[in-house]
Amino acid sequence: MKAARLPVLLLGLVILAAIVGPMLLPWRHDAIDWNAVRVPPGSPGHPLGTDMVGRDLLARSLAGTRITLLVAAAAAGVSLLIGVAWGAVAGWKGGRIDEAMMRIVDGLYALPFMFVVILLMVLFGRSILLVFLGIGAVEWLTMARVVRGQVLALRERPFVLAAEAAGARAPAIMIGHILPNLAGIAIAYLLLTIPQVVMIESFLSFLGLGVQEPLTSLGILVKEGADDMDVAPHALLLPGGILVTILICLTLIGEDLRDRLA
Amino acid sequence: MSAVYAVAGLEVHAGDRAIVRGVDFAIAAGECVALVGASGSGKSQTCLAPFGLSPLRAMGSARLCGEELVGADEARLRRLRAAHTGFVFQQPLTALTPHLRIGRQLDEAWRQAGAPRPDRRDLVALMARVGLDRGDEWLDQYPHRLSGGQRQRVMIAAAIAHGPRLLVADEPTTALDAGLRRDVMALIARLRREEGLALLLVSHDLPAVAEHADRVVVLEEGHVAEAGDAARIFAEPRADYTRALIAASPRLTDPPPDLPLAGGTLLEARGVAVSFPRPGWRRGRIAAVAGVSIGLGRGEGLAIVGGSGSGKSTLGRAIARIGPADAGAVRWQGRDLPPRKAMRPGDRRLIQPVFQDPVASLDPQWRVADIIAEPLRHLRPGLDAAARDEAVARAIAEVELEPAIARRRPATLSGGQAQRVAIARALVAEPEMLLLDEATSALDVLVAGRVLDLLARLQRARGLAILFISHDLAVARRLCGRIAVMDGGRIVEEGDMEAVIRTPCHPVTRALVAASA
Repeated sequence: MKAARLPVLLLGLVILAAIVGPMLLPWRHDAIDWNAVRVPPGSPGHPLGTDMVGRDLLARSLAGTRITLLVAAAAAGVSLLIGVAWGAVAGWKGGRIDEAMMRIVDGLYALPFMFVVILLMVLFGRSILLVFLGIGAVEWLTMARVVRGQVLALRERPFVLAAEAAGARAPAIMIGHILPNLAGIAIAYLLLTIPQVVMIESFLSFLGLGVQEPLTSLGILVKEGADDMDVAPHALLLPGGILVTILICLTLIGEDLRDRLA
Repeated sequence: MSAVYAVAGLEVHAGDRAIVRGVDFAIAAGECVALVGASGSGKSQTCLAPFGLSPLRAMGSARLCGEELVGADEARLRRLRAAHTGFVFQQPLTALTPHLRIGRQLDEAWRQAGAPRPDRRDLVALMARVGLDRGDEWLDQYPHRLSGGQRQRVMIAAAIAHGPRLLVADEPTTALDAGLRRDVMALIARLRREEGLALLLVSHDLPAVAEHADRVVVLEEGHVAEAGDAARIFAEPRADYTRALIAASPRLTDPPPDLPLAGGTLLEARGVAVSFPRPGWRRGRIAAVAGVSIGLGRGEGLAIVGGSGSGKSTLGRAIARIGPADAGAVRWQGRDLPPRKAMRPGDRRLIQPVFQDPVASLDPQWRVADIIAEPLRHLRPGLDAAARDEAVARAIAEVELEPAIARRRPATLSGGQAQRVAIARALVAEPEMLLLDEATSALDVLVAGRVLDLLARLQRARGLAILFISHDLAVARRLCGRIAVMDGGRIVEEGDMEAVIRTPCHPVTRALVAASA
C-alpha cells in the first residue's frame, strides 16, 4: 500500500488540475491573445507563456490533459467491457467455444494495429471516433486473456461447485461468485491498460492522425513543443512532463495492485 | 554413546515473543526422535530454526556433533549443515529444481561437503540405496518425469548423498498417497538401521511415529506437553493433550464404531462414466471414471477409497450432478435424477457436498451468514428474510459454532471453523445425502477428529446417507459400514468395511489397509 501512495497522490493532482484548472483560468485553450504572441514564461497574464499564435500554454496543457485522460478512460472502459465479457464467456463455456474464442483473440493480436488504424484514417477521414474504435479494438485482448484465465480457475473452485449444488444457475453464479472475485484483477489490468491507451493516443496525435485542432491533446502539444524546442523548450517540457507523470503513476499503481491481488 | 544432535533448553523467538520454549532431546547414531503435535504447536520451527533454515531465531543450545549451532554465523551454519545433516521436506516437487536432471542434482548434493566428484556408478549405487532400480536411466531425467514417491526417494538420496550423520525429516510423507507413505517411511527406517543415521522426524502421522520413533517429544502450543520413550507414550500417555492427539487419529486396530443401520435403497448409480478431453484440438479423451455402479441405502455410509487420480472425486461429483458425466444413470428412490443442467431445485436439495479445502469452499467475498443462506435463497425462494435468518442461526448452532460468526468473512476463520460453516451450508438445504469429498483431510489432526465426531452425530440424528470420499481407510471407517475401493477409474473391490479390512483381496486394497494399520 505504501509503495503506491505517492503515485496515487500525484495522479490525483493531475486529474484535479485537468478538471478544475480550465474553469479557473482567464484564457480558454483556443482563445488567441493578439497582444501576447509567443511570449516567454512569466509574462503578465500568461504564467507559462503562449504559443506562436498567442494561445495560453497553461490553458492548452490542461485542456490537452483533459482530452487525453478522457480518451484513455473511454477506451479503457470499452476494453474492460468487451474484455471481461469475452473472457468470462470463453472461460465459463470452456471446450470448443473457448478454443475458438481465444484463437480469434490470437488472430487480432497478430494484426499490425497501428498500420490498420492509419489505413482507416486515410480511408474514412480523420475522426476521434475512429481513434476510439481502433484503440478499443486492440486493448481488450489482454483483458480477455487475463479474465478467461481467472474464470477457468474460479469455475473449478469448491465454492462455485457448492453454489451449483445449492441450486444457483449460471447467471447467479456468474454475478454472485465469479465477477466479484475477478474484479480486483480486472481493475489492476485496467490501470495497466490506460497508460498504453494514452501512449497510442499521443502517438496518433503526434502524427497528426488523432485529435484535431482547435481541440488539443498532450500528443499534439508535445509535437508543437518539439517543433519549437530550440527557442521555447518549456513548450515541450510542460505537456511532456504531464504525460510522463501520468504514465509512470498509472503503471506503478497498476503493478502494485496486480502484485497484491495476483 | 555420545549424541549426534543434542538440544537443551531450546527456544524459538519470533521478534521478542517466544513461540517455542524449553525443548530438550538428544539423538544418538541410529536413533529416531519424533516431534509431534497439532499444527501451530511449533514442531517444524523447533526442527528448522537451530539450523538457520527459518526466519525465526533459536536460543538455548543445539549441538550438532559437539558443535554449537545457536549463535553460529551464517557461514559456519552452512558448513555444519553441509557436513553433517541431510534434509527431507514435505513437498517433493518443489524441493527439486525442475530444469536440472536428477543426476546433476545428486552430483551437487554429493559434493556439498567437499567430497570429490562422484562418477556415474556412484550415483547409480546411491539410487539403488533408496530403492530406485534402473537408476542409470533416471539420472538423465528431469524431476517432472518422476512420480511423487520416486521424487521423494530422490530427495532422500540427495539428503544422504554426502554421508551425513543426522537426517532431518520434516513431514516427509504428508504430501504422499497413503500407500506410498509406508514405503517411504520403511526406506527411511532402513537407511537409519544400515547407515547408523540419527533421525529427527517431524510428523503428525502418529501411527508412523509409533512404529519408527525411539523417543517422542509432544509439543503443545510451543511447550513440551510430554516427552519420553515412544512405546510408553503410546501405551500410557500422561498428558491430556497426548491422549487427545492419539484419540484423534483413528486406526484400523480400533474396535469398529457403532454405525446407524441402513434403511431401504436411496440411491443407485449405474454405469457412470466420465472422461476429460486432452488439452488442444482433437487429442482424444482420458477416461477418469469407466463405468462404475454403486448403491446407497437411507442413512448408510459408503466409503469410496483410492489413491490420487483413481477417479473417486470425479465419480462423487458426477453422482451429485456437480461435475461432468458422459454416461450412466443415477436413480433416486426409483426415479432418475436429471442430468447436471436440468437439475431442478427439488433435485438439488437431496445431495449436498462438503469439500476438502475448507477455505476454498467459501466465497472469500461473502459473509458467513450469506454463505449459509445461499441454498435457502435458491431452493426455497418463498422464505422471507426473518425465517431465513432463523434457519441460518439454527444451522450455526447445529455445527457448534458461536452465533457471532455469522457476520465474519471466510478469511478470518480457522480451518475447522470454515469446514463447519461449509457443513452448515450443506445442512440448511435439508439434504438426505452428504457427499464428503476428503472433508477432513486438509484439517489438523485434533480438528479433523472433532469434525468427524460432528459428522457422525449428524449422520445419526438426521438419518443422513453419506458418500465419503477418502484416501484414508481408518478415517472413512468412522462413518461408513461399506467400502468401494477405486483404482484407475474402476471399482476393484467392494463390500462390508470390516470384512474388507480383515481380508483385503485386491493389491490396491491391501496397500491401503497396510497404510492405515
